[in-house]
Amino acid sequence: MLEFFKEGLLQFLSYSGFGNCTWGHIIMICIGLIFIALGIIKEFEPLLLVPIGFGIIIGNIPFTDGLQVGVYESGSVLNYLYFGVVKGFYPPLIFLGIGAMTDFSALISNPKLILIGAAAQFGIFAAYITALLLGFTPMEAGAIGIIGGADGPTAIFISSKLAPSMMGAIAVSAYSYMALVPVIQPPIMRLLTTPQERVIRMRPPRAVSHREKVLFPMLCILLTAFLVPTGLPLLGMLFFGNLLKESGVTKRLANTASGPIVDIVTILIGLTVGASTQATNFLRPASVLIFVLGAFSFVIATASGVLFVKFFNLFLKEGNKINPLIGNAGVSAVPDAARVSLVEGQKYDRTNFLLMHAMGPNVAGVIGSAVAAGILLSFLY
Amino acid sequence: MKLFSKYILLVAALFAVTATFGQSVHDLRLNEMMIENEENYADEYGRHVPWVEIFNTAYNTVNITGCFLTDDTTGLAAAGKKGGKIPAHWYRIPTDQKMFMPQRSFLIFFLDDSPLYGPYHTNFNPAKSKTHYIALISSDAKELLDMVEYPVELRDTCRSYGYVQDGVRDPKAFKAGKRQAGELAYLDDFTPASSNETAPKISKQDKLKQDDPYGIGMALISMAVVFTALIMIYIMLKIFNYVTRRATQKSKAQAEPQKVAAVANKDDDDVDAVNAEVVAAIGVAMHLHFGSMHDEESEVITINMPSKHYSPWAQKELTMKRNPRR
Repeated sequence: MLEFFKEGLLQFLSYSGFGNCTWGHIIMICIGLIFIALGIIKEFEPLLLVPIGFGIIIGNIPFTDGLQVGVYESGSVLNYLYFGVVKGFYPPLIFLGIGAMTDFSALISNPKLILIGAAAQFGIFAAYITALLLGFTPMEAGAIGIIGGADGPTAIFISSKLAPSMMGAIAVSAYSYMALVPVIQPPIMRLLTTPQERVIRMRPPRAVSHREKVLFPMLCILLTAFLVPTGLPLLGMLFFGNLLKESGVTKRLANTASGPIVDIVTILIGLTVGASTQATNFLRPASVLIFVLGAFSFVIATASGVLFVKFFNLFLKEGNKINPLIGNAGVSAVPDAARVSLVEGQKYDRTNFLLMHAMGPNVAGVIGSAVAAGILLSFLY
Repeated sequence: MKLFSKYILLVAALFAVTATFGQSVHDLRLNEMMIENEENYADEYGRHVPWVEIFNTAYNTVNITGCFLTDDTTGLAAAGKKGGKIPAHWYRIPTDQKMFMPQRSFLIFFLDDSPLYGPYHTNFNPAKSKTHYIALISSDAKELLDMVEYPVELRDTCRSYGYVQDGVRDPKAFKAGKRQAGELAYLDDFTPASSNETAPKISKQDKLKQDDPYGIGMALISMAVVFTALIMIYIMLKIFNYVTRRATQKSKAQAEPQKVAAVANKDDDDVDAVNAEVVAAIGVAMHLHFGSMHDEESEVITINMPSKHYSPWAQKELTMKRNPRR
């Protein structure tokens, strides 16, 4: 009887998390807790870091295989939820919400700012080249490079197609750097600008008519999707969401897209991407390299945006010049990157409000990173 | 208006150019053919007849409706002229059948001299022909899209003949009526409706790694495409700006005819900016005004401990059913 009891207890223990725990699981759980702490205490992108952090904890609870509980086990609940990440249909739904939340007025009123959004995409391709030199395959390099777009959904969309085995590391890296925009970008901006440039005042944007706002998404989808059809899932949803917002007659749909839909998908994508970082898949030297390359990509993207503005200013007349502190906003971390421009600008001139000017390149960055993602797919997929 | 027309023309030209490059019958090739078909590929009636495979080398759909297949190009120059007569021995791919070839796809035509058997059966048979070539001619009968000259022995050999690499030909040599050595050859395997390259294929990724080992080429092309896409949007927004400015000027001119001269001299951007600032100032003032107002508070301020701690479970309001929102 005692023997049976002992055996039963040992068998139960072998099924429990304690019996299967490794150092890897503990490290990952700690990372998950740090994410949650950063989200709650520091309020760095809490809407993303809290679900991802909790997902990391869920994904790293040790268990024996075959119980249909893990995210990679066919038939498990988490596996079903993860399906939207694997097949890439969560990111376009998030883009629908982003479109329904984004006001493109700043871009429409000052079109030249759109070019900053294009220049900042250089970070993606610089990281691609570096990843190739470090021995990654072209598909893996493309998936790593997209971190420089500072766009979580795009990073997931691309990595799910080009390098599914690296998706967890790429998504966590992308979202981490997005959350750390206020920490990463300011030193680069200060390094690359002079005190005189930081106080440049830009002309206030003109008022944008309703007709322009309605026409903008329709013409943009025609122009961009014809050029890069592979970017259609992201670009199509982005501009569709924006049309819902701007048309003025589909307020309910716009509210649903920018509210419940984006909230539900954010919860699911955050949780499942977090859960996909199982220690056995995640704790590898390649993941560390992905984090390093992601940071490099982010730095280059920020620097490209700032340097492009400085270059662009050479051709602009006095009074029309652009403050290079909005160059960092060319990455598509909306609106954090634009907020960084404002904060940095006000450190040197408290009456200089750069937020709305920075929103131009910031939303251009969203379009630019979706286009860049489409190009990567057409080359590599 | 001049500037406006310039931008419109630029966008239209861009679309026209890309559309022209996008879809073209010039991308079609007579990729593979077989004449002595003893027991290989059969048509829909189970017959083993000569066949030719057309390959769309492009990465987009091509419409081949109305193009001609023939074993005798005599009369090409005359047919292409205005009012020119199409020779009777040319087989026209039926115009009532919309034939679109998807990107990198193959299409088989049976050269059995039996056009009544269906749209994929031609009105000539190379086994009976005096010439030894097959030609594909454009739908306007002006251009020779591709022509494969085959060895006469092919009529007695049960083998297929065609491009060694799918549809790859030297354009300069073809224009001069010649072929690069080794471009066309007897194929090791007959592969109707599939690639002639039967050797293990190098993957897209490996090819990219081979052609562009450092990724610089791809990075440059990609950045060029990103800039092109956003420059196109920039041009569109410039048109917006121009049209809006014109419309503003027009409406102002109609509203205040006596001030037209003054308005024309002033920069419209400044006018809009002032208006926007005024609107923002009014908005801030109203926000501050309403933000500082308070409702009358119903609570009682006391230093005594509350008799009962607050709990939402005891809140009557939450236990009542709410009216549905419309």
